Amino acid sequence: MTEQTMAIVSFVLTLMVFSYVLGDLPLIGVLYRTAIFIFVGMTAAFTLVVTYEGLILPYLQDSQDTSASWTTLGASADIYIFFTALLFALLLLLKPVRPLTWLTNSALAVVIVVGASVAVVGALSGTLFPLLGATIALPENSATEFSALLESLLLFVGTMTGLFYFHYQVRATGAPQPSRLGQGLRHIGKAFIVTALGAIYASTILSSLTILTERISFLFQFGA
Amino acid sequence: MRRVGGGMSAFVAFAVGVATILSLLLGDNPALFGGQAGSEELARRLALPGDVLLRLVVIVVALSIVIGVANLLFVHVGRAARGAFTSAVVLASFAFTIYWYVSRRGDTSLLEAVQVPIESALAALLFLSLTLGGARILQKRADIWGLLFVVVAVIVLLGSIPLAELAPVKALSDWLLAIPVSAGARAILLGIALGAVVAGVRALLGQDRAFRG
Repeated sequence: MTEQTMAIVSFVLTLMVFSYVLGDLPLIGVLYRTAIFIFVGMTAAFTLVVTYEGLILPYLQDSQDTSASWTTLGASADIYIFFTALLFALLLLLKPVRPLTWLTNSALAVVIVVGASVAVVGALSGTLFPLLGATIALPENSATEFSALLESLLLFVGTMTGLFYFHYQVRATGAPQPSRLGQGLRHIGKAFIVTALGAIYASTILSSLTILTERISFLFQFGA
Repeated sequence: MRRVGGGMSAFVAFAVGVATILSLLLGDNPALFGGQAGSEELARRLALPGDVLLRLVVIVVALSIVIGVANLLFVHVGRAARGAFTSAVVLASFAFTIYWYVSRRGDTSLLEAVQVPIESALAALLFLSLTLGGARILQKRADIWGLLFVVVAVIVLLGSIPLAELAPVKALSDWLLAIPVSAGARAILLGIALGAVVAGVRALLGQDRAFRG
């Protein structure tokens, strides 16, 4: 595709998406929806291509290469795994068949539980332990600088009260109300959480503003 | 029969989950076994169940994506046959992309001319939605928390403007980002991690409804 054609296509599609601002008018609304459905079809095609080229094809190529085996089980292990995965995928397709539900659920159980195990190990070793370690660690210059110590303390209080603010279970009906101290700590935690969410919101606005500026400058450059 | 099936799914979930977690935690780490003779071989053997299960699940997920795309196409073929214009657009766009990919391997100009502008324009529209949403917060939720949210957002936005007159606001914004926002974000991340652990352990114990029928 030539650069000129690419620029025209980009210009038209950008205008079609921006037509959303004008509202759901009879003719203009169609432009936005058409752009979105072009996007859906293209994304589905690219997803298919990336899945095939990035996952399935390299896997099948690896399984034919006997010299590069990742396990002592040999290259044939890849073929067995691939056919087991194919069987699992077929079982997932049979979900509506009631007598085979137990078999489908067992296949689904393997997929969910392996994902859950990776999530548990990742959450423990990648988030929980490092973040807790960083939160309770004293700054290196805490002995000389009082402000650094105070900031670390504030960070610790904010993190802990923020965690305290979350509820992990449903409160039973008739259960006693939390104490005044508990309520106070929850309010402090909520203030930290709201502050973080406000800053994240502002950062998202800034990112989208940068993209908007780039798109508008592209439209003007194309029109000039 | 249904109870037996549910019990079997729970048993499979527990066995596979324990094998994966132990394999991920203990495998490929000879230092855990004191670095003695044979500890490397033991660590490698312990890593094997995890490797096999992860490869299996990655391929199942890849095949599920293919099935999902096929399902999307079937749904739109049915709708296009009933005269839905947007479904015809989806099918035409899909077919053209596949044709482009097969006939011009390695050419990313279609991605740059269509996918990138639509994604950028949608992200740009997000600015309008977010700004309107921010303005409506104070209308819908006129309390201390709504006010705090908007004030912090405005300070961070003003702090990003490179003007000498706004240097005090920039200093306040930097401090906010370094301490209270960092503390709040850590609390959110720790909450997510704790939630992930709880949900993962529930799935391991067979309490997840998705595979209990």
